[in-house]
Amino acid sequence: MTVTLNPADLVCHDVAVTDDVPGDLPLLDLVRPMVGFPEHRAFALVRLDDDGVLTSLTSVDDDQLRFLVVPPAQFFPDYAPVIDDEVVAELEIADVADVLLLVVLTAGATLADTTANLIAPVVVNVRTRKAAQVVLETQDWPVAAPLMG
Amino acid sequence: MLVLSRRVGESVVLGSDIVVTVLDVRGDLVRVGIKAPRSVEVHRAELLEELEETNKQAASPSEETVANLSEALRRRSAE
Repeated sequence: MTVTLNPADLVCHDVAVTDDVPGDLPLLDLVRPMVGFPEHRAFALVRLDDDGVLTSLTSVDDDQLRFLVVPPAQFFPDYAPVIDDEVVAELEIADVADVLLLVVLTAGATLADTTANLIAPVVVNVRTRKAAQVVLETQDWPVAAPLMG
Repeated sequence: MLVLSRRVGESVVLGSDIVVTVLDVRGDLVRVGIKAPRSVEVHRAELLEELEETNKQAASPSEETVANLSEALRRRSAE
């Protein structure tokens, strides 16, 4: 998996981004909210397993609202989102090592029915705690990619 | 909704710093150029609708669903 961050001096190949979710991340501030949920800005990342893979992005203001997210690298090795410089500036990204990339899962009845949203990943700067659901307008990733290929 | 008619090459200005220009028209396809500050996100309406719908479907799965998913992932990584 390759994540490209613009401007060019932050381009990284072969995943320098964090590929599992840290267990001790404080609250996130969603500077671009989840699409359709504009009122919810403060979220907690809650690990749901011991590996830092299955994670819950839970609203602080309404703990009934949560999204299942995973770091995409192990499921989508060819996933290569390009994150533009506006997002880099909004999240105050200074070092590619601070970037945690997550994708939202729509859980089905089985693993085979579970899909991941690759057109609108959640980008997190673990240093500043700013995050955004980024709509990759001009990139052709699927909105419902089967998790199990 | 304000309705304006534009010919190819003509523009509409929104606020003080957003310009929408009709670039060309081919059959029923209209190509539109948008100049806006980087801080203004520009998206196709149907993409945003689809994303909102996807997020709403994804939101707040049941505890049972989450437990099943977690277990299935655990079993897969144990293989």
